[in-house]
Amino acid sequence: METLASLLHTSPATAWMAVKVLMAFGLIMGIAPPLTWAERRGSAMIQDRIGPNRAALFGKIRILGLVQALADGVKFFFKEDLVPPHANKRLFWLAPLLAFVPAMLGFAVIPMGRSFLSGGTEYHLSLLDPGNGMGMLFPMAVGAMAVYGILVAAWSSNNKWAILGGMRASAQMVSYEVGLSLAVIAIFMVTGGYDPHEIVKAQQGTFLGVLPNWYVFRQPFGFLVFFVCMFAEANRLPFDFAEGESEIVAGFHIEYGSMKFALIGLAEYGHILGASALITTMYLGGWGIPFVADHGQIPVIVTFLVFLTKVIALCLVFIWVRWTLPRFRYDQLMNLGWKKLLPISMANLLYFAYRMRG
Amino acid sequence: MGVLVKKVELTWWERLYVVSVAIGMGVTFKHFIKQLLTPTSKRYTIQYPDMKKEMPKGYRGLHELKRFEDGAIKCVACFMCQEACPARCISIEAEEFSELNFTQGFEEKRPATFKIDMLRCIFCGMCEEACPKDAIWLRDNYELAAYDRLSMNFGKWDLINTYAEPDGKARLTQAEESPMTPSRRTVAL
Ligand code: SF4
Ligand code: SF4
Repeated sequence: METLASLLHTSPATAWMAVKVLMAFGLIMGIAPPLTWAERRGSAMIQDRIGPNRAALFGKIRILGLVQALADGVKFFFKEDLVPPHANKRLFWLAPLLAFVPAMLGFAVIPMGRSFLSGGTEYHLSLLDPGNGMGMLFPMAVGAMAVYGILVAAWSSNNKWAILGGMRASAQMVSYEVGLSLAVIAIFMVTGGYDPHEIVKAQQGTFLGVLPNWYVFRQPFGFLVFFVCMFAEANRLPFDFAEGESEIVAGFHIEYGSMKFALIGLAEYGHILGASALITTMYLGGWGIPFVADHGQIPVIVTFLVFLTKVIALCLVFIWVRWTLPRFRYDQLMNLGWKKLLPISMANLLYFAYRMRG
Repeated sequence: MGVLVKKVELTWWERLYVVSVAIGMGVTFKHFIKQLLTPTSKRYTIQYPDMKKEMPKGYRGLHELKRFEDGAIKCVACFMCQEACPARCISIEAEEFSELNFTQGFEEKRPATFKIDMLRCIFCGMCEEACPKDAIWLRDNYELAAYDRLSMNFGKWDLINTYAEPDGKARLTQAEESPMTPSRRTVAL
């Protein structure tokens, strides 16, 4: 670390920060396009189709259609960037950013690997070091901001379908936030802190002798609520009320085209990634290797890879669920959110609160 | 009259969703694995330009003007197909030819031009039905596309030659045989 810092003529802290930013950014930008590929090919396989496999590098190298994402990107760049005449120009421009930035920001506190000592200082693999006072509250708060992206996109495009989609999505996201927060509080309570590093530490070792000491197994109902709510937060099927081909066409992004549309699409995958990272950290032991109580001897890179594996596996689950379930009806969605998930998470919270008495 | 839609009542077990969702995900996963492990050639999708569908026997695609074993055209220019064609897309001009050396008669009739406008053809197969000589067949080539209208007007040579290669026959060109249409003398096998 010191050598890198001296090469860059900065302090180790700054150099490490740069590395971390690059890592987080690269993680999102590097995983999102392959995710679109996984989504398309995976959905095709699920539906006994083949999926896009024709895009080829130099017209020759097909690599299973992986270049499709590249081709799409190029296409989006060269499309006409149209702003509808009755739209609010400024907000219309701002909306894709508002959708995209929160998706990225959520990563700021997630520890992506074991903290390590180098030259007497401790380095952490999360952008914000532990003890910043925000902890897990930060991704929650920022993730909730995503609703502005959708709402602003819908409202500024001055289109009735868009507004309907935006309203539906925002109502849904706000209602699911409640159950989500209660599930999270149960975790904070049991951990005794809301710092992600502490939460990950608290999940090391074994539970009941046979299971990894993860919160999934210790708080299965909380996990269920959190998981479902994350789908709602990421606006994924079965809760993708912002869109609806049969009712409101493309919903909130109906007026968007070219790179702005691509950014909104990327934001969706950013949200999936963010949601996966959150679930991993909160319920699946973060970078911890299952059953291992002391990570002191394990190389940092291994913990990072463990984290990555968990996140990607969860992303694939997101895709898998999308192509399994049809969308809910709107009243069913509200029913599920308020009358089922909220009581479950409330009961979960009360149960753990009761256990901690005395 | 209204239609009574029967409302499906879910049991409390199904209303828990979790189990039903898990079962559903099992189903999709099975399909995923099945499709993943099926070799490309065995999947439902036929990857068109690389793979082609085996057309059924009676398929009515592009016509072929049939030839005898020795290469001479079977068509006797009787105009039956032209008459039978509901789309009026066949146009034939007949000509006489005589080849005294051969047994099939001295004076014979054959088409000088035989055109089918593929843009108008509806591939009904009436021409095939009408032909007394079995000289025109509708076969399995369905890849009929061109950049202009003129090239969709198939002439005699196109109709003779389209299936020559898949059938392992010699292609005939006007240049080789000009000005006469295929004759038994030169194309004898
Ligand atoms: S297939 Fe039908 S339409 Fe086409 S040339 Fe023959 S008779 Fe005419
Ligand atoms: S193709 Fe058959 S029906 Fe048509 S002119 Fe020739 S012999 Fe007669």
